[in-house]
Amino acid sequence: MNFEDDLREALRHEPAPPDFAAKVLARTSHRPPIRRAAVLALVAALAIAAIIPSAAHQYRERQRALEAKDQLMAALAITRTQLQQAKEKIRRNTRSKI
Amino acid sequence: MNKTLLLLAAALPAFAQQTFDFNTLDKLGVKAKESTNITLDGDTLKLAGNFLNNDNASLKPVVDNLKGVYVRSYEFEKEGQYADADLEPLRAYIKTLQWTKIVDVKEDKETSEIYVKPLLNNRLGGLAIIDAEPKEVNVIYITGDLSTSDLAKLGGNFGIPDMKFLHDDKKSGKKPTDKR
Repeated sequence: MNFEDDLREALRHEPAPPDFAAKVLARTSHRPPIRRAAVLALVAALAIAAIIPSAAHQYRERQRALEAKDQLMAALAITRTQLQQAKEKIRRNTRSKI
Repeated sequence: MNKTLLLLAAALPAFAQQTFDFNTLDKLGVKAKESTNITLDGDTLKLAGNFLNNDNASLKPVVDNLKGVYVRSYEFEKEGQYADADLEPLRAYIKTLQWTKIVDVKEDKETSEIYVKPLLNNRLGGLAIIDAEPKEVNVIYITGDLSTSDLAKLGGNFGIPDMKFLHDDKKSGKKPTDKR
């Protein structure tokens, strides 16, 4: 035999055994879906674990900032009132002195 | 030795500034029918400043320079439901800071005191207001770097009267009012 014959023999087309497709389907319908689901669940869990605390933290910070802003406005409003009252008292006192 | 004592004396106001506990004023409001307790430190003020919207965006630079805003405001049903002595620790504290008392009004059963921490170049390092009435007590303590125009800005947004009357009095060398 020469080299060409060897090659031809090696590349010779052989039909698949009749139960080949059934065997392949049997294998794919067993463990892989479970593994795939597990992997998907793990990925989802990791994504949730990464996203939720960050989103929750952002939400909390925003709430804290809004609350702080409201308090700041209230503080400045009280300051305004007190300054106005002090000004009024000064006016009254100055007038009564005159 | 003398130098060390001088340095310690100079550092005392700054030290005292960090050590006053405004929660000690909370006992003023034990019998209050309405109370407002606001404590905003530098970080919280910055946070609040970031959320100032278009209506009061001009306040942001002012708020950014504030270090602390403390408000205790109490209203009572009847007279005599708080002890004026409870305000003494704050007065003593402000005294240690050597702030300038620019308003001191006493009429009937009411007293109003305003203190400022004067800085160079027409700037203020803080503002404190103690207002005691028979059925109401208000304490406001604001620290930070404020210019007089900042105060005017606050006035623009909140109707806080401009502080010109305070500066006019200072310029003329008169005390605004001192009835005590």
